[in-house]
Amino acid sequence: MTLLDGLWLASALTALAAGLFGRSPSAGPWLTALYGVQFLLVAFMGPLAYGADPVPASPAFSVLGYGLSWQFTALSWFFAVITAGAALAAAWFMSGAWGRHYAEQGGDLRLLQLALALNPSTMYVLLASRDFLSLFVGWELVSWASFVLMLAAGGVGVRWALRYLVYAIGGAMAVMAAMVLSHALTGSFEFGALAAVVPDLSAGTLWSLVILLSGGFGVKMGLLPFHLWQAGAYAETPGPGSAFLGAISSRMGLYAMLLTLFGVLGLGTLKALSIPWTPLEAHELLAWIAAFTIVLPTFTALKQNDARWLLAWHGIGQGGYMLMGVAMGDALASAGGLMHVFNHATYQAALFMAVTAVVYRTGTADLNKLGGLVTRMPLTFLVLLVGIIGLAGLPPMNGFVSKWLIYRALIDDGQPLLFVAAVVGTLGTIVSVYKLLHNIFLGQLRVEHESVREVPGSMLAPMLALSLIVFVTGLAPGLVLDWLTTVQRELGLAVLAPTLGGVERPDGGLDMLWVVGILFAGFGVGALIFLAGGRARTVHQLDNYAGGHFLTAEVRYHYSDNFYAGLMHRIGPWYRGSFQWLQDSVVAATDLLAQAAAGVYRVVQPAAWLLGVTVLALWWVAA
Amino acid sequence: MNFVVLAVALPLLAGFLTPALGRSSRALAQWLGWGTLAVCIGVLWVAWARLDGGTVAIAIGGFRPPLGIVFYLDAVALLFGLAVPLMALLLWPREGTPQQFALTLVLTASATGLALSGDIFNLYVFYELTAAASFGLIAGRGTGAAQGAALRYLLLSAAGSVLLLAGITIVYLRTGTLNLAHLATLAPERLQDPVGLAAFALMLIGLGVKGELFPVNGWVPEVYGSVSGRLAGLLAGLVSKLAVLVVVRILVLIFPQPEAAQLMLVLGMLGIVAGELAAWRARDLRRQFAFSSIGQLGIVFVAFSVPGEAGIVAGLAVALHHLLVKPALFLLAERWGGSIEGLRGAGRGHWLASGLFILFALSLVGLPPLPGFWAKLLTVMGLMGLGTGLAWLGALTVMAATVVEAAYLFRTLSVLLAREAGYTSPGPHRGLDLVTASLAGLVLVGSVFALHPLGDGLKAMAAQAADVQGYIRTVLGDRAVARRGQREDRISEAHPASRGSDRPMGRADRAYGWPAGSPTRGARS
Repeated sequence: MTLLDGLWLASALTALAAGLFGRSPSAGPWLTALYGVQFLLVAFMGPLAYGADPVPASPAFSVLGYGLSWQFTALSWFFAVITAGAALAAAWFMSGAWGRHYAEQGGDLRLLQLALALNPSTMYVLLASRDFLSLFVGWELVSWASFVLMLAAGGVGVRWALRYLVYAIGGAMAVMAAMVLSHALTGSFEFGALAAVVPDLSAGTLWSLVILLSGGFGVKMGLLPFHLWQAGAYAETPGPGSAFLGAISSRMGLYAMLLTLFGVLGLGTLKALSIPWTPLEAHELLAWIAAFTIVLPTFTALKQNDARWLLAWHGIGQGGYMLMGVAMGDALASAGGLMHVFNHATYQAALFMAVTAVVYRTGTADLNKLGGLVTRMPLTFLVLLVGIIGLAGLPPMNGFVSKWLIYRALIDDGQPLLFVAAVVGTLGTIVSVYKLLHNIFLGQLRVEHESVREVPGSMLAPMLALSLIVFVTGLAPGLVLDWLTTVQRELGLAVLAPTLGGVERPDGGLDMLWVVGILFAGFGVGALIFLAGGRARTVHQLDNYAGGHFLTAEVRYHYSDNFYAGLMHRIGPWYRGSFQWLQDSVVAATDLLAQAAAGVYRVVQPAAWLLGVTVLALWWVAA
Repeated sequence: MNFVVLAVALPLLAGFLTPALGRSSRALAQWLGWGTLAVCIGVLWVAWARLDGGTVAIAIGGFRPPLGIVFYLDAVALLFGLAVPLMALLLWPREGTPQQFALTLVLTASATGLALSGDIFNLYVFYELTAAASFGLIAGRGTGAAQGAALRYLLLSAAGSVLLLAGITIVYLRTGTLNLAHLATLAPERLQDPVGLAAFALMLIGLGVKGELFPVNGWVPEVYGSVSGRLAGLLAGLVSKLAVLVVVRILVLIFPQPEAAQLMLVLGMLGIVAGELAAWRARDLRRQFAFSSIGQLGIVFVAFSVPGEAGIVAGLAVALHHLLVKPALFLLAERWGGSIEGLRGAGRGHWLASGLFILFALSLVGLPPLPGFWAKLLTVMGLMGLGTGLAWLGALTVMAATVVEAAYLFRTLSVLLAREAGYTSPGPHRGLDLVTASLAGLVLVGSVFALHPLGDGLKAMAAQAADVQGYIRTVLGDRAVARRGQREDRISEAHPASRGSDRPMGRADRAYGWPAGSPTRGARS
């Protein structure tokens, strides 16, 4: 039995246990321990990230003469360790008070536990796939597992889950078409067989493969224009579920793209594939799609008034950075894109958990109905603060490193427009996450939240642990970058030479140890001045002014509604809802067609159709 | 192997005895029916075992083909033949009258005949008999809706039969024979022209009425929406497949021209689009399943339109999968009939039924490794392997239909499992319905663990069904094969593009020496 078999077994056992005992809140810690076992098993495969031989799975099947086999490589491991970590954190978060609360509120805890357990276990299957058939099997399993998780909430979540399903099946069918096309070209589902004939393929065939694969997998990533399902589906899932989905679920799309577009077709092929009459090549097209995926959803996030939706929209936008980095493909950019997968998972899970913690205490995620909670939930505030610094891509958190690598590569590669897009996205993120922090934690506390307390330890522990990772991997990004060099080698990309603090380059590298050191030294100086000044006065939270208006303590004031009124006055008219319109038109057109189809069966004389088709058929025969 | 005839003769005989017997004892009539079906299953099972993968032709009454009428037994014929009494037993109208028992038995006899017959004349007779039995069964429920539906079916079916007969007439005028094997030897010479194609078109549309071919399936939603789940399952699951099987036999043996397959592909595609989209809009659960059945049959037609073994493998896979899944779904819909919105929360508490529904829906949509996925994959592979634009469009249609299918099946499921209270359930499913559906579910899940042998079995079956020479050799002997080969040489010289060039060449042989150009002086003239 290999470690991969063990991992599969452990994850299957977790799902079984969740299905059998998940109903009882007291099963939470035991299930968390099982997720811990999964995480340990993944950790034992750690040598993969430093160049060890792939870990195969013992089961291998043959169906219709095609073999299916599985193995873990460095690429699989990188995604698996994030998956296992996110699942562990989510399970931990719901293992105690949250799970009890959820069950008391009428939630189906067993279903939620089972759905959560199914997700990592199917992902481990997908991440081990080494041919088109096993890839497709894993892909579908993962899609359906996240569908179950989205359904767990019931209510409005069901509507979003169903919308997700349509997109997901559409994407899966594109993948299937690519897989069958590859089979038609090579007579086999092996990646190697396709890779061998790639040099002989015509540009048209290659384009078909690129479009089908990136479109199919892009649906899961929420790439434009297939992004409309994601925010709602992730946001309306019960808290720990959103944390898991937001952390890793949609990155499976990136994994599959890396495996097929980069691992099989190869970056060189993408670079050689130019779009007629334009200066763009296929990989730049992907980068441009990524750029739009960064900018538009990020600014959509800015307009959200529900904290969960705001985060979910950012999740779509951040996926754009990952694809942009990987699509540019050089050592810096691809390392940045890949590292962003890790970084995003850590801070996004922490952020979703922080917001869920707020919902747990206050009952709402509405950004217009919160405020001033910093005095009541200081640790949750800290987690959210660390998380948004990471999400915005500012030092000293890990999000800064991955984005820096991408910016730097875009400048090196002479892509000023993409660079601007990336920076504009970051700007939008900063503006928007400030709104998140401000509306929940700053300002004056609302009367109804006077008695709110910090959340219990079972919820705080995973949040704080994730925050710690966000900070530590920001301080010493080399820890993660080391793994990525192996992944880059596996995918045939240029390999980065990282240091513990970042990268060294003759023309100016990045050493986060120095950056963070100087940052904290600055804080130290500030603290010294503060302490030496000696004239401090503690001000009560309600003892302040707003915009020149004097407010008494009876009037609680927190400016949250119509946040950024000035900015919206400028850019508000730019929001057109074009993609929503596009989606609605597709649905309307389908409905119209369906009406016509149903009309066929509503005729009084169905024999008329028989006559008609006979005449047509005979006419066709004669012609 | 002549005892196989019993599988057709016995239920027919029992069918005529049952009404008389039912007058004195309904229970006895029922037991007679069950016993007969059990014997049929036994007979076909023994035949299956003895055949052991080979093929056999049975000359009825000892008249040798092409003069006599024949039963042709190969794996496909026996598989579908075996499915007939088995499904009739599983979907037996338990609460019906002795008349309905009788009609079910007649349906069994004629459907078995459709699976086994080796000549078009017999096929036509059995086809008509199937239709007659179906009318009776549909109208037998006695409700106004059922009678209206039966009338609709009757009209369409009768018109279809006329077309079928017209097609058969053309074939007979051209060749002078109705024996399929004999036709297979003569077809390359005498039916490879527009008139032959017209004959195929007429037969396709005629048989298509029962095979739920677009657009001659106007009866489907009315009938399945108004009859009992068991009967709907029998008609949608079984009878439709047998009509398709006949079409496939004719296509493979007599009409290898690409245009014939193209016609089937186009109508199949339209059927997929119309069926799935109409199902998407359907607001009644049984009608939704009926439309879904039209869509699935569309996929069956599309799959079988792929020439050669690949098409038959895919078509068989889709057909068998649907044969398993749709009757079970109709059984589940027995308690959940009517408007879908009215079923809000109906599935909660009925976890076995809901679980089965989920399983079948997942398999229909094609979640690997469930069998529905492999069927769909084989279909798409067959189509895309052809490389023509039309075939690509067909593959695209099948895949787009999957999206629509997922949308409506899971929308329905979300309604069934919604957490709102307020639904007053009409009680749980009848035990037997659930057991039958569970059986289908078990077979479905079990087949996941036997994918490898099943795939091999299916391939062998398809290879046998696609082997035209084998068919001719089995029925007429070796010399006829050589004769066809020699004829095809002449044809392929004249039409190099026509299919069939993969068949071996042979010397001229005058075993059945008809002088060329005198088509009417055939075996039956």
